Amino acid sequence: MARWQFGSLIFIFSLLSFPGFSQELDSLLKLSAFTAESDLQKQLNQATGVGSGKAQATRETPGILSVVTAEDIQKMGARDITDILRTVPGFDIGQDVQFVTGVSFRGNWANEGKVLFLLDGQQINDLLYQTVPVLNNFPVDAIEKIEIIRGPGSAIYGGSAEYAVINIITKQASSLNGIKAYGTVGLLNNAIGRTNGGIMLAQNGKDVSWDFGFFQGKGIVSNQTNYVDQIQNSDSIPYPVSNLATVTNADPMNINLGIRTKGLQLRGMYNGYKTNDPILFAKFDNYSADIKYDFKINPKLTVTPQYVYMNQVPWAYGSVSDGSYGLRVRATRNLANITANYNLNRRINMVAGAVYFADKANDLLPSNAYFNGEDYNLYNYAIFAQGLIKHRLANLTVGARYEKNNRAGDAFVPRLALTKKIENFHFKALYSEAFRTPAIENLHTSIGDKVVPEKSSIAELELGYQFTPEMLLSINGFTLNTNDVIIYEYVTLDQQGYQNYRKSGSSGIEAVFNLKKKKWDLNVNYSYARANHNSAVDNYKIPQTANQFAGIAAHKGVAIFNYSITKSISFNTTLIYSGKRFAYTTSDATGTPEATQLDPYLLVNGFINYHSEGFTVGFGGYDLLNQKPAIPQTYNGNYAPIPGRSSEFVVKVSYQLNFKK
Amino acid sequence: MRKINILFLILFFFVGVESYAQTTNHQVYAVFVMSIAKYSEWPETGTKDFKIAVLGKSKVFDELTKATANKDIRGKKIVVTQSDDIQSIGDAQIVYLPDGKSSQLAELQKSLAGKPVMIIAEREGLFKKGASFSFVVLDNNTLRFDINKKESESHQIKISQSLSSLANEVI
Repeated sequence: MARWQFGSLIFIFSLLSFPGFSQELDSLLKLSAFTAESDLQKQLNQATGVGSGKAQATRETPGILSVVTAEDIQKMGARDITDILRTVPGFDIGQDVQFVTGVSFRGNWANEGKVLFLLDGQQINDLLYQTVPVLNNFPVDAIEKIEIIRGPGSAIYGGSAEYAVINIITKQASSLNGIKAYGTVGLLNNAIGRTNGGIMLAQNGKDVSWDFGFFQGKGIVSNQTNYVDQIQNSDSIPYPVSNLATVTNADPMNINLGIRTKGLQLRGMYNGYKTNDPILFAKFDNYSADIKYDFKINPKLTVTPQYVYMNQVPWAYGSVSDGSYGLRVRATRNLANITANYNLNRRINMVAGAVYFADKANDLLPSNAYFNGEDYNLYNYAIFAQGLIKHRLANLTVGARYEKNNRAGDAFVPRLALTKKIENFHFKALYSEAFRTPAIENLHTSIGDKVVPEKSSIAELELGYQFTPEMLLSINGFTLNTNDVIIYEYVTLDQQGYQNYRKSGSSGIEAVFNLKKKKWDLNVNYSYARANHNSAVDNYKIPQTANQFAGIAAHKGVAIFNYSITKSISFNTTLIYSGKRFAYTTSDATGTPEATQLDPYLLVNGFINYHSEGFTVGFGGYDLLNQKPAIPQTYNGNYAPIPGRSSEFVVKVSYQLNFKK
Repeated sequence: MRKINILFLILFFFVGVESYAQTTNHQVYAVFVMSIAKYSEWPETGTKDFKIAVLGKSKVFDELTKATANKDIRGKKIVVTQSDDIQSIGDAQIVYLPDGKSSQLAELQKSLAGKPVMIIAEREGLFKKGASFSFVVLDNNTLRFDINKKESESHQIKISQSLSSLANEVI
């Protein structure tokens, strides 16, 4: 028990022995029903509303949740979002095409519409394919926390949250009341790996609060010299021998502006990203804005109407040599949403809402031929409802979402969750159905029958036990079955596009062990995913094993150790182990891609931070063993793996000045 | 997997279970019981002691015993007892009903009908089922109580206004 709490109890007891003295009654209001929180418990007990209409402690939320805080990010000296996600159970990085990277999750390629990325509430997934490039992307030093639902979120978040939700909240939009500038430089053995920097300002006023953030970066994808893509290389069309340190880019930019006054919230954002392989570049220009207002009808009921506008030119790709575009499409979304949040009483909460959005795409190239000279339109509406009952025995969450798309048809996904923390023990039993709404390009470039929404059913069970206030172990198992999988397939030059495949999915376990002492803390996690043998997606398969899909490891282990040497100096070491992977790396004499084994790797990272009076400087090394893990394509799609970067030495500097309150 | 299991075992052994996890703070429950006793009024029955009986085993008994040592309520020495069954409660002024004994509330209520005995139930919501007080843990984890005034009046027990004003709910 904390010393202060013990002291106050003694004080109240002593007051009780003096008749007529009633001040102790007021003191009762502050007493917690539970013993004092450790640092770990403070973290675990932080209420989060992600995936639920009512904020709950991490151990009782209706989802398997990982939370990464600003402190975690600073201590590990994360260079970009990939460094963070690699430490989260189930997540890894893979290549889509043209050196554009995305996430895999629980053994499945999850880049297209399966993982929803939110940055201060703004959807980052593009409107054409629902992807998010991750390498050297996102202003990680501006992040306050990342809430990651390692499981489906469709019932609340809709058709881009089939497998997981990554909710990124920046400092300026939450805790900052001042100004902060930050910068990162990464040095590889033969090149500058990245130079990223940004500034953010925020002022929290009584009536009006505002925030602004600017982030820009310049990086490279790899520093391999004499690179040749062994799949694309042929006698007839030789692949250019390239020094990737000089020809590739991974350049992010983010501008983020928010204003809050009473219940009104406005936010506008630009999120840009540019990357390229030796032949093709890919550019993403995404603008979004939203406005919402919380009408507090009465103390129990809040109604929030919201309007969102998105204007994007994603996946604009073209030739590196002459800069000409092969695809340049503008996609816009107009979305209206109304959500009602009703707390019937302290134990029953209901959320219900309706969403309508209209997506439109048009070709920006002079020929205007991509959509036959017309606009391509999608109309989508959805209704959803979710109820939470907090009962003595368990918390019950029941929800469902119905969504209808004018081209793809409809989807209905129910959700059921039982969670409870009982003293040191907690459990979560979750069953969700989830879906992925086909995006513009999934429908526009379909081949064969009409592309319908992809649907998944996911069952999860988590058991956790807190051995001491500083130590928690939680283990979860999952089975994930996806039907009508939306897959791109290249048959011939004239016949390529998206179609539904019957089945795919995986099952596995994840374990997280947390130990948080005053001077040091340790996070160890392990994840295992086994590919479903009934998968019908040929492009995911590799000849060596039916237990893994292309490019994705079955086993991953992570250990993060932080040690505070003094109040100002901390040391971090992060170890990331990945089991063997199998990926398409070369081609045979006929030009057919061949899969080979990629050896297991161990990333050893070390980082030291010095902090004083708002000034922070950190330096460290990534991949100190120079393992250079490749980033393979996670399907058989005619791209050889991106060669891994060499060891990277990183310096990070930031300065924060707080405004007077 | 086997290596991972061994790693966890080593970690547990290395760190040791040296303190308790964040669990129910029974000491706080005992403080509340004491406050309720102090700010309520029982009819004079001529008993020498002020008795608090805890039904069944509960850590609250230990905490109450420690907290009330050499203390009194309105000149009456506080005596805390533990009773395994309802029949052995005797002439207590307060019966504390731990969570695990909640199913005995109806029987307890029947046996104490009309007597100047207050039932304080640990489980939330039992004030609606016959307990004079029952505890409730709010969203911020602070402890409060709900009051059934009609029930306490039927036992001729008066609850002070200052105590009632702290209640989460009064019926």
